[in-house]
Amino acid sequence: MTDQGETGEAITILLVEDDAPTCWRLQDALVKAAYEVRTAGSLGEARSALAASAPRVLLTDLRLPDGHGVELIRETRRRFPDTEIMVISALGDEESVISAITVGATGYLLKDAFPTDIATTVRDLVAGHSPISASIARFIVRRTQNSAEPPPGPALNTAKLTPREIDILWGIAKGFSYAEIASHLGLSRQTVPGHIKNIYRKLEVHTRSEAVFEAVQQGLIKL
Amino acid sequence: MSRLVPYLLLQALIVIATFLGLRLLQPSDPEDFALSGFSLSEDGITRPVTLPHFTSSRYSLADPPLYIGTFTFKSGDAGWSVFLPRFSNAVEVAVNGVVVLDSRRDANANRPDRNTPQIAAIPSSLLYDGSNAITVRLFVWGPLKGFLDTVYVGPDAALRPAFETRTLLFVTLPVAFSAWQSILAVILAIMWLMRRREPVYGVLAAAMVLGVIQAFMPPPVPPTTVSRLAGVLLASAPIESALIVVFGVLFFGWRWPRYGMLLFVPGLVVFVIGLIAGPPLPRILFLLLGIPTVGISLFLMAYVTAAALVRRQDAASFTIGCAVTIVLTCWVHDMLSVFEIVTNERTFVSRLSYSAMLVAIGAGLTWRFARALNQVDSFAGQLVARVREAEERLKASFVREEARARAAALANERTRLMRDLHDGLGGQLISIVALSERGQEGATITDAARAALKDLRLVIDSMEDIGGDLMLALGSWRERAAMQLRPHDIALDWRVATPQGLPLHPELRPWHIIQIVRILDEAVTNAVKHAAARHIAVAIETRDDGQGPYGVISVADDGHGFALRGDGQAAGASQTARGLCNMRNRAVRCGAVLDLSSDASGTRVRLQLPQVFPDSDAATG
Repeated sequence: MTDQGETGEAITILLVEDDAPTCWRLQDALVKAAYEVRTAGSLGEARSALAASAPRVLLTDLRLPDGHGVELIRETRRRFPDTEIMVISALGDEESVISAITVGATGYLLKDAFPTDIATTVRDLVAGHSPISASIARFIVRRTQNSAEPPPGPALNTAKLTPREIDILWGIAKGFSYAEIASHLGLSRQTVPGHIKNIYRKLEVHTRSEAVFEAVQQGLIKL
Repeated sequence: MSRLVPYLLLQALIVIATFLGLRLLQPSDPEDFALSGFSLSEDGITRPVTLPHFTSSRYSLADPPLYIGTFTFKSGDAGWSVFLPRFSNAVEVAVNGVVVLDSRRDANANRPDRNTPQIAAIPSSLLYDGSNAITVRLFVWGPLKGFLDTVYVGPDAALRPAFETRTLLFVTLPVAFSAWQSILAVILAIMWLMRRREPVYGVLAAAMVLGVIQAFMPPPVPPTTVSRLAGVLLASAPIESALIVVFGVLFFGWRWPRYGMLLFVPGLVVFVIGLIAGPPLPRILFLLLGIPTVGISLFLMAYVTAAALVRRQDAASFTIGCAVTIVLTCWVHDMLSVFEIVTNERTFVSRLSYSAMLVAIGAGLTWRFARALNQVDSFAGQLVARVREAEERLKASFVREEARARAAALANERTRLMRDLHDGLGGQLISIVALSERGQEGATITDAARAALKDLRLVIDSMEDIGGDLMLALGSWRERAAMQLRPHDIALDWRVATPQGLPLHPELRPWHIIQIVRILDEAVTNAVKHAAARHIAVAIETRDDGQGPYGVISVADDGHGFALRGDGQAAGASQTARGLCNMRNRAVRCGAVLDLSSDASGTRVRLQLPQVFPDSDAATG
């Protein structure tokens, strides 16, 4: 299976993972799918790799020996808006994934995913399909329900989500496929990925000042 | 008794002090200008008398006694006056045959219970150098005998100070007291109206109102009007004194006995007679019934206060007791004058002292009322403080309770987590260790490690609050199952009957979710590992047999199945048997019913969820 970018060149992936076996495993899966993979074992290496050229896809672990992957995601998002970003996670736990989403990541890749799944996920991502897992959808919709005290976990502003987007998230959280969701909600199946992409964009906090604004809006900060 | 003796001794001292005080406070008159030698024409007899003098009759309007005397005037002395410090009931004074003073024109001057003085300027044209004649006609209409105190004639400047002093003491002061009394009457009446259960205020208000009416109502002067009003007003003193006794009894916390109403009888008799009969009968009755009633009432009051003091000594009973003693002493003093035991004066002080006492009582009541308000305030303050204290204690105990509950919940959670990890992750890790030690490579270890990871994700996943919606847990499970099946090329057919899927279970706990998901995992694992299935169909629906909705989850595969023994246990591979046994146990623990059917065309696992999940683990241990 070969994946080519619009220009016909191989799609470049920057893989940031400090655990060597995991790194090899993912690299093997991606290389086998004909992606051009560069690897970095730390934040510093990742930055110098980014300085050389912008990758099409950034896959990064969050806990790195010299810093946190969230910083890398934020920087990459700011400098290369076209780069697709995904978190590599061992458990796919909401705590880390959501904090990555708010700085611009789109979903996560499990470290133990089967090689075919890894390749498929990246291909979908490049094709503009942002995958969203049931547990992440569940986390987001549970946040839309809470009204009183801010629930534990990373801060997340769900205020901008439309009722339709929340309905889609409910469907995903309950394990329905895109087709089932589309039929329940009276949508076209093709529009569902677009909605999901929008959801990711709305959950993203772009700048520091916007973050402050969001915090004020949500009552997390009192001016 | 130990209290009574010193109290009585003190009262005796007060009696002595009162007598001495009355003597000392007797206003002094300008003795230089006194005229006391008169000749009296009474009942057709003329005789020389010395003032002060009591007439022999109590009623002499037709032929009033006439006192005739002389005084010496030296020309050059300007502005002479005649001053009469005390007389009863009324006087008409003439100098050299010309009337200069008629007290009947001033109704209040003729009241026998007041000691109103009179002064009149003598026009200088009337006076001769040397001897001048003065006549005093004394009108008497009871109830006491007529009385004429020493008459003073002299320069106005010498007489007026004594007149002013007497006016202040015997006219202005009673009016001031009465005004004060009327204000207190209004206040007490309002108190009684607002607190009907305390008649003590009402009784005192009634007594004060009576006193005020008596003081301000101008008594008609006979014979110009033979009014019943005079007779009615006579009743005020005995009724007032009886009311004061009622007040005393109620104030000190006793019940007013029914026979106590007898005390009002004399006053009412005087009142009724005053209404129907003309003078002098009411006055005579007043003398016979009214004055003794006042005395009896005063003695009763003295007794009541003494008894109250013996029972419970406090400022109120002590003060009122002393006041009663003073009034009683004044009454005795007046009686001595009435019965002419003391003949040189007739200054009645009962009414004055009584008014003063009433005002003192009223002030005392107001003071007590204010103190009660203060007590209420401080009580309210104490209450607020106590409520706050209780609140704080409650809050503290609530915090303690909460901490205890939290600790218990944490301990429970830990126990559950331990068991869950032991059931899944622990065993899988151990089997990884065992496999590695045996030098096995590849798929077996990978499978065990993947199972361990899957289980870890399940445990983490189940801890999240999903608000009782089992579908949210099944959504994640679908993803994991699909991921598990994809390498085996097994299709997962997921069918949910309704968008809602399963009913909401607010009582759903993480350990329920773990049991259910493990049952489903086991079914899928069996299909993959032992049945060589190509399709797995998961169906989720909500049923309702009229006793509330319940969920049903079924997992069906198209594998080759396995043989079941008669008791529903798997007869074949021991691993499958153990897996099925585990599934049943898990179903029982969360109150679900597990149905298994298996044949050559496939295996069906039907899990019927309970309507309400059990609160405690049915198979703990």
